[in-house]
Amino acid sequence: MSAEGILFWVVFLFTASSAALVATTRNILHAAFALGLTFLGVSGIYLFLHADFVAAVQLIVYVGGIVVLIMFGIMFSSHSMESPGEEPRSKFSLMAGGLAALGIFAVLVLLIRALQVPLSDQNSAFDAIYQRTVAVAPGQKGLGHYLLGEYLLPFEVVSILILGALAGAISLIRKETTTE
Amino acid sequence: MEQAYLTLADTVAGPSGPDNLFNYLLLGAFLFALGIFCMITRRNAIGVLMGVELILNAAGVNFVAFSRFGNRMGDSPGFDGQIFTLFIVVLAAAEAAVALALVLAVFQNRHSIDVTQADELKW
Repeated sequence: MSAEGILFWVVFLFTASSAALVATTRNILHAAFALGLTFLGVSGIYLFLHADFVAAVQLIVYVGGIVVLIMFGIMFSSHSMESPGEEPRSKFSLMAGGLAALGIFAVLVLLIRALQVPLSDQNSAFDAIYQRTVAVAPGQKGLGHYLLGEYLLPFEVVSILILGALAGAISLIRKETTTE
Repeated sequence: MEQAYLTLADTVAGPSGPDNLFNYLLLGAFLFALGIFCMITRRNAIGVLMGVELILNAAGVNFVAFSRFGNRMGDSPGFDGQIFTLFIVVLAAAEAAVALALVLAVFQNRHSIDVTQADELKW
């Protein structure tokens, strides 16, 4: 097994074990840290998939944004700082959750084994766009051309959506704290 | 031109390590199952949100994996899957912001974010 292969399995196991930590640990702050490690591992997986820009965005937005946001939320919603959010979980919910997770995982693995995805036949419209883009902007630069070319409308809509989400979040908090 | 398919030879019986689609899909499935377990089991509302983020990441890994292996145009990856993952990241950020605002609003009213206790519509 080559060095790249070994490194891939290291990142794979790191991601899987961090995600397992998120699901099983009782302390909510430990779970938030483990979530950050999971996102870090997923970013490494994106690098193995030749998706450099997506890996960078994953680090910036998920690890540097969402995990920090979650930790702020935990800090503001815990009663004491010594034991943030220790929670005993009922046996019934653990069994039900374990059963559901195992069942979904089994179904997904069976589906993956029965995979029959038709590949591009080098004649469709998607391929024409790809060839045109790669001729102009090789490598990961083509992603920028896609984002501002074919996917311009979702790009702009998502910008408006983020603006609306931020305004909505602020208004949610403001209503509860203003005193008449 | 006849249609080519991704089959078992490309997944389970294919090459090992980072060149095999099956490993990435397996990771996606594992993250998804753990996210489901998180959403069902956690009592803290922010813990449920963490399960949602795990599920979204699993979907993103699947998208990028198919963008790498599902496009048979030489050695280069296609970009459609990566674009989808970018939008997933953006939407997850917006959704996490709104969800945390909700959690904090509930906490300010009830002084508890235990989802098993938030079971009445009007209090």
